[in-house]
Amino acid sequence: MYLGDEMHKAKAMTWYRIAQIGNLGLLLLWHFVHLIVNLWYFALGLGQTLESYLISRGLLKRYNSLDSNRVRYLAVVMDSKEAGQTSEVIKLLQHLEDIGIKHVCLYDPEGLLKKSKEAILEKLTYVKLYEEATKSDSLVRKDITLEFASFSDGKKAVLKAANYLFKKNYLCEEQKEFVCTESHIDEALKAIGCARPDPDLLLVYGPARCHLGFPAWRLRYTEIVHMGPLKSMKFGSLIKAIYNFTKVHQNYGT
Amino acid sequence: MLSLSAQLPLTPSLRPDNPTHNPKLNSKPTHLRISTKDPIFTHHQDEFHIAGKKYPGAGDLPEDEKMSLPAGLRREWMPEHVAVIMDGNRRWARMRGLPSGSGYEAGIRAFRVLVELCRNCGIRVLTVFAFSSDNWLRPKMEVDLLLNLFETSIKAEVDNFMRKDIKVSIIGDPSKLPMSLQHLIERLEETTKHNCGLHLLVAVNYSGKYDIVQACQTIAQKAKDGLIEPEDINELYVEQELKTNCAEYPYPDLLIRTSEAETLWWIQTIKYYRTLYGHCS
Repeated sequence: MYLGDEMHKAKAMTWYRIAQIGNLGLLLLWHFVHLIVNLWYFALGLGQTLESYLISRGLLKRYNSLDSNRVRYLAVVMDSKEAGQTSEVIKLLQHLEDIGIKHVCLYDPEGLLKKSKEAILEKLTYVKLYEEATKSDSLVRKDITLEFASFSDGKKAVLKAANYLFKKNYLCEEQKEFVCTESHIDEALKAIGCARPDPDLLLVYGPARCHLGFPAWRLRYTEIVHMGPLKSMKFGSLIKAIYNFTKVHQNYGT
Repeated sequence: MLSLSAQLPLTPSLRPDNPTHNPKLNSKPTHLRISTKDPIFTHHQDEFHIAGKKYPGAGDLPEDEKMSLPAGLRREWMPEHVAVIMDGNRRWARMRGLPSGSGYEAGIRAFRVLVELCRNCGIRVLTVFAFSSDNWLRPKMEVDLLLNLFETSIKAEVDNFMRKDIKVSIIGDPSKLPMSLQHLIERLEETTKHNCGLHLLVAVNYSGKYDIVQACQTIAQKAKDGLIEPEDINELYVEQELKTNCAEYPYPDLLIRTSEAETLWWIQTIKYYRTLYGHCS
């Protein structure tokens, strides 16, 4: 019986050692899998940097036939941290000018870009503010129209439009039955000077893929692309984002 | 909707001196299997696996399992409101050589799994965009199929919603929907209005512009009727009148748009491994 107990103990110990070795093996396998995944991400990042370099040098032929006219209106959203980097914003706008984008809206929730408007316009040639461009007919072929927007241009604009409609339709002498439609809101926004085109493409610079309160009324069919932090913005990645947009087939719900 | 399984070399039951043993974990070793098959439908349609834990897809959950989270997720980090745009059904069917109807049916099955997952993770509000106002432009046969499917699904799920304490609200313009569907929606909302669990918002014939327009119309009418002063109208009033304001947490923390399932699955698998490893280490 004593011998039986001893054998049983030895057997249990052996199984325990085998299990420990097995555990170690599985742990190593797990770390190996993680290493592969990390290497994959590293290679992906390296590949993206290289691709961006090749695109910006014009070495990848397919990006040379970029039709920038397909992007009728481009919006760039950045969080407040990114918006404070005025030099990077200017660089971005210069890149967009080189690509041939004609109409750009710059948005940040707190309106920091509006405050840096003068500093930005100073550094750029062939740029006109959207308000000036729509008033005058003297838009030079090379001109880019630039719009600055912030959080207050979203909800507040719709509120003003609603107030305008209320005064026009409910406080006037002839009160008819009024059924509000989308086109009424569009007209009201135009009447109060808040009508702006809907962007085809929205580039988000910041840590999160979030439009940060960009006027929702204008985002119905907008394609949203997250570009990462503004400081790692590259000319090649801009071209790629715009090129991919031009190749996309939109169903618009149909 | 992902169903993932991966190998974790943890066998707490065989390590006598494991200081990190969590008594809440299953006492059996957790095993994760890398799956290369279709992530949604290779398992029984009523269950799914995440981080080695099995979640029933339908049927009653035992009380102690109801709110447990997969390893690596913490309650305080979970979003309160998740919105999902259920796109890509037709693409999914086309990739498999199936008719569009099969894609929509598969979408409904995935939707049931999604609801269960949200319940299990303690998410308070789930919004699903089932039918946009732009979708009326699709072929009539397809639209009729979609609406019939929607009607059939509601009838099939009412008992399930009651059993699982799910409150259902349908947001959107109901006027263009068939009368039978409108009545069914009214009954569903009435039946589930006292439920206190997951609040499920289903957007049917909905668009953001429609919601803003109807909010403005309602406020203007209230001002005309003297219920509110025009000077008092502010952004808060507009927010309160939006259809999406019916939920306790009206603003989505996370918006997911499903599409291109094949490539997305692979990328998400890699991201999932990174997150899981980050937590374990």
